Amino acid sequence: MGSIAYPSTFMELRWVTTRTKKDKNNNQHPKDLNLKPAATIPVYISTNPSDINPPELRELFRDCNHSCYRFPRLDPEEPVDVDKLRVALSHSCVLVSLFSRPHDCFETDFDGDIESTELSDDGSKKVVPLLGNLMDRLMPVSPSNGKLVGFGRAVSDVGLTASIYDVVVIPSLRRLGIGQMIVRRILRMLTSRDIYDISALCSEDERFFFEACGFGGDILNSTTMMYSKTVATHFGDDQTVKRAGRKLLLVPPLREPFASLNPIDSQS
Amino acid sequence: MLANNGVPPSLCSVMSFDSQCQLSNQLLFPSTLNYGFVKVTRKVKVSRHKVNFWESIRSGFLKDSTTQVIEESPTIEEEEEPMPEEFVLIERTQQDGEIEQIIFSSGGDVDIYDLQALCDKVGWPRRPLSKLAAALKNSYVVATLHSVRKAPGSEGIDEKKLIGMARATSDHAFNATIWDVLVDPNYQGQGLGKALVEKIVRALLQRDIGNITLFADSQVVEFYRNLGFQPDPEGIKGMFWYPRY
Repeated sequence: MGSIAYPSTFMELRWVTTRTKKDKNNNQHPKDLNLKPAATIPVYISTNPSDINPPELRELFRDCNHSCYRFPRLDPEEPVDVDKLRVALSHSCVLVSLFSRPHDCFETDFDGDIESTELSDDGSKKVVPLLGNLMDRLMPVSPSNGKLVGFGRAVSDVGLTASIYDVVVIPSLRRLGIGQMIVRRILRMLTSRDIYDISALCSEDERFFFEACGFGGDILNSTTMMYSKTVATHFGDDQTVKRAGRKLLLVPPLREPFASLNPIDSQS
Repeated sequence: MLANNGVPPSLCSVMSFDSQCQLSNQLLFPSTLNYGFVKVTRKVKVSRHKVNFWESIRSGFLKDSTTQVIEESPTIEEEEEPMPEEFVLIERTQQDGEIEQIIFSSGGDVDIYDLQALCDKVGWPRRPLSKLAAALKNSYVVATLHSVRKAPGSEGIDEKKLIGMARATSDHAFNATIWDVLVDPNYQGQGLGKALVEKIVRALLQRDIGNITLFADSQVVEFYRNLGFQPDPEGIKGMFWYPRY
């Protein structure tokens, strides 16, 4: 990627406000009326690549059920290969990571106690009393003591185009504006390098999210296409295949170069 | 120097090593990593092809004339970029005895001005040259097609013309997007575009890069469909950012 200069201030503290729980139809459940009022929690947004720990990122992907493959296996597949992830990260032009304090990521149940996502030994959910986390609450959040809860990256040719991939936010902190914060930061990094042709591949579910971030269909009405030639769709002998998630993609055959019509005897 | 004496040109491999090869030093991770690539001693299948004896001598079409004719490719431990290849895709003889060769190259050796002229020819809007140059430099694969004409009996420089190009950006691991596939209108309809795209897809898949995307104008959707691309597979769509001023 060459020497891309990073801006001097690329780690910032931000605040997000939690809301009361609502279901998809925006109805409040009766038990939610006992919830604490909306709280403001600090998050730490960073564009520094060294703040990202690939194994931790892999955990985040797994917690979000996110696959790096566009056609992920339907059964729960093993987490992505860390080394491959490292390669992808090192060749991404923009990397945005978002951290919060560990206890802020946990769900709060109606008693105001924090419900840990871990299970205690007998299999029931652990409940951690609020006061026990007082010291944690007083510490400012930073990448070193925070938990990675959000991520996004972009790949670019640093000239004309860029593509955004792998924008994820941990489930318990969704719908708080964090995803948009990440995308906005990516966009800012790209436009500051004069790249305005920015694309994002999204599935049906992700479409609304990106629309809210200011994305839309192509102005020139181009069609998005992906290589999906598989053994199932094309038959033939001597097929080389490559696995990409669920699909076994057919590798185009090696083309034999044209034989010259007028071979000249070689004299060495 | 070809190793065979008095025998019609046998298959031997030609690799052109130009400066495009030496890009590995920019990577940030330690070299002790095992990437999980396909573990064979020869990572890239070398394309074997007939080398016309006069070609290897003249090599006028190679910019810095560093053609090395070798018997087998050296084993390279961890190459990050696809090995640059260059070979003759098509050769034909015109009625006046002139020979025209279409040369495929993935070395990324593109003259920006030639490219600009080619984009004009196919009717694309102009883009700033510096941006174009940067984009090519930072693309993972740049494949080009050149036409080389040799008039019979001429000993001078062959006429070399850029007639096609395609490039792909990638994160080198999971995702890749193919951009800017173009072929000179005079050379369209011969399968050249198909060759370009197939080559790029092959190079990407050899690297286990499985998410290969492109954004096709309506008139070329069928072209890509025939190459194995599917529109909006499983509801996946590409969206673009529109700044609101």
